[in-house]
Amino acid sequence: MNPEQHILAERLKVITRRHFFARCASGIGSLALASLANRSLLAAAPANPLAPKPSHFPARAKRIIFFHMAGGPSQLDLFDYKPALIKLSGQECPESYRKGERFAFIKGIPKLLGTPHAFARHGQCGAELSCMLPHLATVVDDIAIVKSMHTTQFNHAPAQLFMHTGSPLMGRPSMGAWLTYGLGTENQDLPGFVVLASGGKAPDGGSSLWGSGFVPTVYQGVQCRSQGDPVLYVSNPPGFTPADRRRSLDTLNALNRMQLDEIGDPETLTRIEQYELAYRMQTSVPELMEIAKEPPAIHELYGTEPGKASFANNCLLARRLIERGVRFVSLFDWGWDSHGTAKNTDIRSGLQAQCDNTDRACAALVKDLKQRGLLDDTLIVWGGEFGRTPMNEDRHKNPAFIGRDHHPHAFTMWLAGGGIRPGITYGATDEIGYRVVENPVHVHDLQATILHLMGLDHTKLTYRFQGRDFRLTDVAGHVVKELLA
Amino acid sequence: MKNEAEIRRPKVEGRRKSEDRNPKLESNGFSAFGFRPSFGLRVSAFGLVLVTSIASASPINFNRDIRPILSDRCFACHGPEPAKRQAGLRLDLEEGVHGPLPKHPDLRAFVPGKPAQSRAYQRITSANPDEQMPPAKSNLKLNDAEKALFKRWIEEGAKWQPHWAFVKPERPALPEIRNPRSEIRNPIDNFIAVRLAEEQLSPSPEADKATLLRRVSLDLTGIPPTPAEVDAFLADKSTDAYERAVDRLLASPRYGEQMALRWLDYARYADSHGYQADWERFMWRWRDWVVGAFNANLPFDQFTIEQLAGDLLPNPTVGQRIATGFNRNHRINTEGGIIAEEWRVETVVDRVDTTSAVWLGLTMGCARCHDHKYDPFTQKEYYRLAAFFNNVDETGIGDEKLGNVRPVLKLPAPEQQKRLDELAAQIKEAEAKYNEAAKAKADPKKDKAAQKAKQELDKLQAEHRLLDMRTSTMVMEELPQPRDTFLLIRGQYDKRGEKVDAGLPAALPPMPAGAPTNRLGLAQWIVDPANPLTARVLANRLWEKFFGAGLVKTTENLGSQAEWPSHPELLDWLATELVRLKWDLKAFQKMIVMSATYRQSSCDRLVAADVRRRASAVGQADSLLTSAATSLYEIDPENRLLARAPRLRLPAETVRDQALAVSGLLVEKLGGPSVKPYMPAGLWDEVNVYGNLRVYVADKGEGLYRRTLYTFYKRTAAPPDSLMFDVPGREICAVKRSRTNTPLQALALLNEITYVEAARALAERMLAEGGATPAERINFAFRRAAGRVPNEAEAKLLRAGFERQLERFRKNGDAATKLLSVGEMKRNEKLDVAELAAATMTARVILNLDETVTRQ
Repeated sequence: MNPEQHILAERLKVITRRHFFARCASGIGSLALASLANRSLLAAAPANPLAPKPSHFPARAKRIIFFHMAGGPSQLDLFDYKPALIKLSGQECPESYRKGERFAFIKGIPKLLGTPHAFARHGQCGAELSCMLPHLATVVDDIAIVKSMHTTQFNHAPAQLFMHTGSPLMGRPSMGAWLTYGLGTENQDLPGFVVLASGGKAPDGGSSLWGSGFVPTVYQGVQCRSQGDPVLYVSNPPGFTPADRRRSLDTLNALNRMQLDEIGDPETLTRIEQYELAYRMQTSVPELMEIAKEPPAIHELYGTEPGKASFANNCLLARRLIERGVRFVSLFDWGWDSHGTAKNTDIRSGLQAQCDNTDRACAALVKDLKQRGLLDDTLIVWGGEFGRTPMNEDRHKNPAFIGRDHHPHAFTMWLAGGGIRPGITYGATDEIGYRVVENPVHVHDLQATILHLMGLDHTKLTYRFQGRDFRLTDVAGHVVKELLA
Repeated sequence: MKNEAEIRRPKVEGRRKSEDRNPKLESNGFSAFGFRPSFGLRVSAFGLVLVTSIASASPINFNRDIRPILSDRCFACHGPEPAKRQAGLRLDLEEGVHGPLPKHPDLRAFVPGKPAQSRAYQRITSANPDEQMPPAKSNLKLNDAEKALFKRWIEEGAKWQPHWAFVKPERPALPEIRNPRSEIRNPIDNFIAVRLAEEQLSPSPEADKATLLRRVSLDLTGIPPTPAEVDAFLADKSTDAYERAVDRLLASPRYGEQMALRWLDYARYADSHGYQADWERFMWRWRDWVVGAFNANLPFDQFTIEQLAGDLLPNPTVGQRIATGFNRNHRINTEGGIIAEEWRVETVVDRVDTTSAVWLGLTMGCARCHDHKYDPFTQKEYYRLAAFFNNVDETGIGDEKLGNVRPVLKLPAPEQQKRLDELAAQIKEAEAKYNEAAKAKADPKKDKAAQKAKQELDKLQAEHRLLDMRTSTMVMEELPQPRDTFLLIRGQYDKRGEKVDAGLPAALPPMPAGAPTNRLGLAQWIVDPANPLTARVLANRLWEKFFGAGLVKTTENLGSQAEWPSHPELLDWLATELVRLKWDLKAFQKMIVMSATYRQSSCDRLVAADVRRRASAVGQADSLLTSAATSLYEIDPENRLLARAPRLRLPAETVRDQALAVSGLLVEKLGGPSVKPYMPAGLWDEVNVYGNLRVYVADKGEGLYRRTLYTFYKRTAAPPDSLMFDVPGREICAVKRSRTNTPLQALALLNEITYVEAARALAERMLAEGGATPAERINFAFRRAAGRVPNEAEAKLLRAGFERQLERFRKNGDAATKLLSVGEMKRNEKLDVAELAAATMTARVILNLDETVTRQ
């Protein structure tokens, strides 16, 4: 059964049983009996599109935390060490690289730019990392570094959309929407797909990055905010007590049940369920956000400060979310667009600040999941929408700053847990890190691999729209078998 | 009575309402037909279940039965796109289906009457994996029922037809109904009844009057009837009472507003440019033109021509030029460092995709990068269409960033013009002053007096520019010399292929005689009666508006991959009727709502088990057919057969407008600049750090209570409650909305300021004008929201809740005051605080009822 048929079948069970109770029992007792029947159904097999659904084949990962470092982190200054580029630094970029190329900002003949950062090897695997990532260095044996990512897009919004929806155009469902559509979610008190953002600004692709496109909107990501209501409208109006909330809902439900018995539209039953879920979210969401209750050792590990909006807090929230059975957590962090036009986008000071702000918490999440036994079936993905050029962008001809332009031909991502082979480095780029020369991994390949780890065949997870079956990976994508444990 | 396949109550006029709406059967009514649905029946029903394929007795209809399978499973490799075509075989054309195979001229894909000689049939039934079609690696499959259909089709002569939607609709004869089981009020009912009879079903009885008035009011105006309107309607026993109510609604200015809702989705209308910085723009004059055009009942052909090419009409009026803003509502990128031509191409592409989706129901965008995979449109034809939209004097980027981008039409009101003139004069003075001050100085930047003069000048110029923007609207205008248009290889702006002229796809009819080869000609062609698509597309979408689903469910696509219509003859009849009515939208919609089909009850009712298998003809999932289905909602959950009226959650805008209307907060004012109702803090600032749309400040006063149509729409941070209730993102054209049911909607309706304030306002009316007792007051509120009086059980529950709350608020006055402080509107101090708070809680429950947010 495909997920849609599954939903239909689940729904049918409810309808059939509802009618058995609601219609067959006559007289005074029917209402109570109907209510009873529906209540037990709520727990057992709700007509809920988010109910857990079987995967195509046994899954290695049950849930995903996807770090999107928006802007495009510089692979050449963080992961992909290129001594030859350092040697050639300051020389003009050879024509063979520039021919037929277009850049977002670079004009004229740019100069090559070696990394100003030191690199070292770490762990048993000996992975090479920039010294800006001392914490990640402590978990390299748990992660797989992919140096051969490439994409087709070189502007932020289309490239981000491509990463999350498989298409550079708006209007397609995002990966989290595809996964909750395909697999449902395990905690019915929280949304199945949650989005957290830090860095003072949402990514350029906006909410389309966690949108549902043409699949039903129940599958779209719900943003958990750090100011105001964490989930919109989750707080009661002033002057309310929890008891009021329950009593008020009981009255509403009882009235809606009368409507259900009278008209017989299953949609009414769904509405009753949605109000119950909303009620449970009003408890589960504030409880989720209470990171202050975590022990000091955990705060020490992540570098979290309760009450302050930060990337670290989001990492800890991500753990709390997946611990509670949320299927997909997206963490966006803005500020990785290192053009070198000002101090905060300089690949020395700016990139260092980004790393200082995130490195500890990323590594902490890997360690924390591992110590809780959650890393085995939780997939972590870390990366940006594209890479950065081996050349200095030098947009303003200001020697005070150095930086790099957008680069779709090669970038680095890392993955961990959930069936990923740990402690490997996969793929390679040429001597200046311009193009992939070994084991290229296209964005659609990454998406196919992620779905595979979740137990889904990317060619079979489809949704019919405008008369055609659409999928996350469009008409492409291959599972990268070498990345699988 | 044995022939009556259904068991239902006879229609009884004047029956008490709650009974009339109740589909439950008395047990004696059941047993009389031997269908008492006991547990035993369920078991035996499972035993009875038959899964049949499509109408096994009737002859195969190529377009209904075969083409959809060919298109879905075969066209990818044997369809219109040459790049992917295998073995030179095209199954989308008759010559491919019947003619010699290009690679084996001695063989044919399908030989009429001879399955054994039909090579394609041999391949699809082959057991050899190397032979079998579709090949395993395609992930496409034919099931046994589908293979059997092919066999029958070949045996019956393998007749081929062109895709139905590309053939001009012929007006079908009205099907004759002998012994109608229900009222036939107009031709719609003939078509619906004949199909129902085939399925051994009968229509539902007419909905009770109160339900009907609420339904038609919400559908036509988006505002529920007032209790006075309900009373008048219930009291009116004349035969044309309903018709007069419909006429009143169609004449209401609220009608145009309601019609505009979906048109704004189609037109990707918004108050900002979109993309990263998402600057503000000013296009509300176009929105007001749309509302006005619908209210004035501008015929749809004229409505079309003015929006697509109003500027090219002889001596166009201001309104006709404003109308062309339709194709300027696309996003405009203002990001630094982008290539203008790339985004200009995106703009032109957006116009082709939008125009063909809105009027022709085609997914033309598929042909931007390659020939269409399903429909007979080449990539070259795509760019020939693009050539119509390629001659606007525009840059492709938002050079001004803030505000409207040329070409614009300037429309200052007299007092605004006065201010602009004043400013212009002041700017001149300030310029002179600055020049004077700067002249003598070596470095004016360091001179205090020069700096002051400069600041003054900047301030005046900024005000002038802003006012100039705010009083303009973006329009279409042709360059004197058309731009050259090229086929773009893989759709890329900088990979030009051959030069193309403006022109139409060969698979569709040519331009009407005498039509110019420009946008005006294109618009005339779109609404020409010879165009096979436009009238069908419109009729289908208007049908969807009233019945929840189109006759063709894929209202967004009438191309080869479209679903076969549930009632093909009705669709064609409606399409020809639209043309016959000279595209009169009010008359057309009046006909729909006057039909008995529309006026049916939406209640579930029981039907006999043996009709189940017939429902397969409307293409439902097999799983449904294996159930012990015994009710209408079960055998036809999508209501494609229309044996009842649909029950539909109200659209986002109507949910809010209704809350404002029933609470008396709604400000019914037509048009004007967009308004800013309540929104949680920070939402605008989360998405961008550029642009001028940051730090949202809600309006004071009437801006909080206008119809949702007028709510300011920032593309990258749209009003969250609209999005929650399925308003599309407005980034690109959207002709379809989903209709979801989520916990976030529940949270919004329970806790969002608008709804809490509306509950209080309704409570104030309950106390002030709803009578003296709690029971009367509850009746008052219930009637306003749901259009009917609550029954005894409902009233009892609400009363108990009210009393409980009253007791609590009497003890805790502080909580009451807090609850009553939500919203801008000052509370009526004359009313008792505890009573008002308790009534607010009751009103809140009533506003959240399933029935309240549903049109049934």
